[in-house]
Amino acid sequence: MTESGRDLRLDFFRGLALFCIFLDHLPGNFLAQFTLQSVMFGDAAEVFILISGYTAGMVYGRSMERQGFLVATVRVGHRVWQLYVAHVFLFMIFMATVAYTVGTLNSSLYAEEFLAADFLNEPGVAVIKALSLQFQPAYMDILPLYIVLLAAFPFVLVGFRSWPRVVLGLSLVLWAIVQLDPRVALPAYPGPNRVWFFNPLGWQALFFIGAWLGWRGIRDTWPWLDRRWLVAVAAGVAAASLVIRFSWTLHNLYNPIPALGNTKFTWLFMSKGDLGLLRFLNVLVLAVLVRHLLSPRAPFLAGRVAWPFVTCGRHSLHIFCLGILLAVLGHLVLSEFFGGLLMQLVVSVLGVAIMIAVAAFMDWFAARTGPGERVLAPAPPLGGGA
Amino acid sequence: MIAPLTSRRWAVALVATAGLALLPAPRSACAKESACPTPEGFGAFETPLTKTAKALAKGSDVVIVTLGGSSTVGTAAGGGDLSWPSRLGVVLARRFPSARVKVVNLATPRQTARDAAGRLAREVVPLRPTLVIWETGTMEAVRGTDVDDFRETVQAGIDELRGAGIEVALMSSQFSRDTDPVIHFGPYLSVLRELADAGEVPVFNRYGLMRAWAEGGVLDLRTKDSDKRKQLATRLYDCLGHAVADFVARR
Repeated sequence: MTESGRDLRLDFFRGLALFCIFLDHLPGNFLAQFTLQSVMFGDAAEVFILISGYTAGMVYGRSMERQGFLVATVRVGHRVWQLYVAHVFLFMIFMATVAYTVGTLNSSLYAEEFLAADFLNEPGVAVIKALSLQFQPAYMDILPLYIVLLAAFPFVLVGFRSWPRVVLGLSLVLWAIVQLDPRVALPAYPGPNRVWFFNPLGWQALFFIGAWLGWRGIRDTWPWLDRRWLVAVAAGVAAASLVIRFSWTLHNLYNPIPALGNTKFTWLFMSKGDLGLLRFLNVLVLAVLVRHLLSPRAPFLAGRVAWPFVTCGRHSLHIFCLGILLAVLGHLVLSEFFGGLLMQLVVSVLGVAIMIAVAAFMDWFAARTGPGERVLAPAPPLGGGA
Repeated sequence: MIAPLTSRRWAVALVATAGLALLPAPRSACAKESACPTPEGFGAFETPLTKTAKALAKGSDVVIVTLGGSSTVGTAAGGGDLSWPSRLGVVLARRFPSARVKVVNLATPRQTARDAAGRLAREVVPLRPTLVIWETGTMEAVRGTDVDDFRETVQAGIDELRGAGIEVALMSSQFSRDTDPVIHFGPYLSVLRELADAGEVPVFNRYGLMRAWAEGGVLDLRTKDSDKRKQLATRLYDCLGHAVADFVARR
């Protein structure tokens, strides 16, 4: 990758993850059977956090080298603030949805059960807990994760400069502790047993590994990542995961097809909240493969097919929020008219088209406001990520 | 495919069902009328409940214990007799007159999987049931309980029951329109599916069935009128009772 240009691979896969997040969040969407989650252990969330970590390492790592700790920290803080505002925006969408559905929630058919949702009984508390990142209802779980990981990042970056191995080692140890002891988690609202959906103490390992790679990427290349045996192992693991995971998808569609390797034992390593071993490993081997197979200068990435992905990935935070809004609206449409297959297809395609259109519009606007302004703000939309 | 019943047929069916519940000698032609049509192939691929089906056919004692929350208690219909477990007992008794079928409903409002699992050893196993139907996942979805925690709890419960030689069937949450953006049922429904596939226990997909009924116009889940809602609940539980009876007796 060059010093000046963007690594389009990051934008491309971030865009892919954004589309998957939207499609996965449309309830009962048939197409969700064919997103990232059907071909790998894990889903768009892993891809997103890894890329976000990588970008953060690259951008703020460079900033730290050139402008020092303080400036880099302020830049991180600015980005955290943007993410926080987006989180509050999503909370408003959530509250609007609650207002819309309160009739159903009160319907006697469900009331006894649905009214146990504590936030209905104490909305005031819910608002405060949402502002403190502890209330994470529908769609509001990944931004809090990203916010705390990024907020901790300046300190990790300092660590990378002096003792990279120690920091990475500690990060992995913490991840391992989380795997072994479910009590290592952050408390969430409503208590007493509720914890953050994405456990930052587990997920930090993926984010910081990504960040380390991004940070080192400014200066080095890693020939060892291209060793033949490593790529072969990665390809093997990725292919095995694909076959196993896709057999589950087929099994869901047509029961007599066996779901390979679906045992109690497998599920021990599949925790989404704690980032189980299979999910962690799977996204890492995919990253190794992509690095090996797809050059940042590949004509494909600058081509027409990749354009919608790349352009959405470039404006990831905006498009992520838009995707959530569209998922909620799409849900209302589907539940009003009962989405059959055709309806789901229409809503999915329309949603993705709107995401692309808005991203393209933002590109157009950025070009219009001219390169002059962009010189003042180097490295467009920083950090990216959900 | 599923034609909505007119309100008159509806009323007739309701009265017929109520009447049948009181009569010792059933008239099965009318009984069919009251049940909602289940989609083609519903439950066809689920693991059969061999022991229970055999006991029913042979005419032995069959004790079925049901666990779950309000929708299994039958609160919305206003009475225990109108709950789906009661209806299940009535339908099975009618269909297998020689078997001595007893349904014990241990559901309590807002019962979590953990609550239910805690009762297995002391309250469920001593009843020596042939089959336990465990309706679970609703409270977990509403409260957003940790998904892995939910999986482990239900898994342990299944193991405990099967260890005692009891057959187990799981039942998913109720379907509702509108609430998906607020309450995420998806992950908990998936857990039931995965537990079932990994452990060879069947899932009665109530969520999917209610969705099919709502889509087909069989049930109007959105009705605002409170009297109608009570009728709706009564009908729903009756339909579920019939569908579960079919599900249990599969061979």
